[in-house]
Amino acid sequence: MTSTSEEIGERIVELLPRLRRFARSLSRNQHDADDLVQSGVERAWRHLGQFKPGANLASWMFGIMKNAWIDNLRTRRRRGEVALPEDSGEHPAVSPVDSSMELWSVSEAMSKLPEEQRLAIALVLVEGLSYQEAAEVLEIPLGTLTSRLARGRTALATALAGNGNPP
Amino acid sequence: MYGDEILMAYVDGELDAKLRAEIAAAVEIDPALASRVEHHRALRDKVAGAFAKVLSEPVPDRLARAARGAAAESAAGRGNVLQFPARAARAPAAPWRAREWAAMAASLFLGALISWRLLVPGDGAPLVAGEDALLAHGELARALDTQLASEQRGEEPVLIGLTFKAHDGNYCRSFVLRATKTAGLACRVGPEWQVPVTDSSAIPAGDMQQASSVVAPAILRAIEARGIGAALDADAEKSAQLSGWKTP
Repeated sequence: MTSTSEEIGERIVELLPRLRRFARSLSRNQHDADDLVQSGVERAWRHLGQFKPGANLASWMFGIMKNAWIDNLRTRRRRGEVALPEDSGEHPAVSPVDSSMELWSVSEAMSKLPEEQRLAIALVLVEGLSYQEAAEVLEIPLGTLTSRLARGRTALATALAGNGNPP
Repeated sequence: MYGDEILMAYVDGELDAKLRAEIAAAVEIDPALASRVEHHRALRDKVAGAFAKVLSEPVPDRLARAARGAAAESAAGRGNVLQFPARAARAPAAPWRAREWAAMAASLFLGALISWRLLVPGDGAPLVAGEDALLAHGELARALDTQLASEQRGEEPVLIGLTFKAHDGNYCRSFVLRATKTAGLACRVGPEWQVPVTDSSAIPAGDMQQASSVVAPAILRAIEARGIGAALDADAEKSAQLSGWKTP
């Protein structure tokens, strides 16, 4: 491995807390979320040659994880695994007992969003990316991003209000 | 009157200074507007706040190891190169069908996946059955020989994805056939490109150029079995091509 790869590896290590947070906002299941981080990181290593020096490593990693996540959903859907209703209580990421009510209720509400809205919310509201950055990560036009964000927010607000947790 | 999207952009800090100042002023004198802004701000804070604590959780060791490239290194160290059984299909005079069957059997035996429809004999076929492997043919072979991923315009009938050096020393390249929406892996053996695996299942509709950089799972597993981690960059790809894909 060249020192450049090692340097990028160290920078990815520094990003891990953020990558985990991003994954957790996509998946309620903590193990699934960490598996997503792992497969994203492994993909990044295989595609290291495509990383342009000077580009934003966090955005690049989010893009790779987004692709890994979508591929994963597609595979599971083909196998019929995603047919599980998200609210069946199967493998909850967190329970009110071992974590805060807030993370639990927001995860719950996020899990009910359509995938495309969840990704937009995760990048902008959770990760704090600008609209421009988020649109680039998701490879969609800016207008598409803002409309997904708006619909996602409205749905989230409704879900959270319905849970007895007014935003 | 401001729409919700504008107010969301306002709390997201996405508005230009002028509009921002306008809304800030309007909020001062319009309680209804102020409460809508407050609603959007509260939702943003709630969502951001809920996940914020993940940042302070300890990061599992396996993730730190993966981030430092552990998988890439162990793939290089494993040395489990897939090899076609020598002369599995020794029948030089056999009719095409038999040779295709034998090559297919060999690849199935290895757990590789080949799309049947690529194997139609004829000049236009992208794959032909060789002695003991499937070989790239025609347009596919030409693209593998000459095309550089860094110089693709995205309209080529064959799109080249990653190029890397397998740990048996040979170059391998992933590709996407536009017409059949099939991804595959080809590895240079002597003067030929052997194709141990193709996958027609994982190409997303839409942008083919993107498809060539997003490698299908079956192809990734084949690469993992052979690869040593990082793909060649544009310069290394070019010099490999100039050397005729011969490795020193």
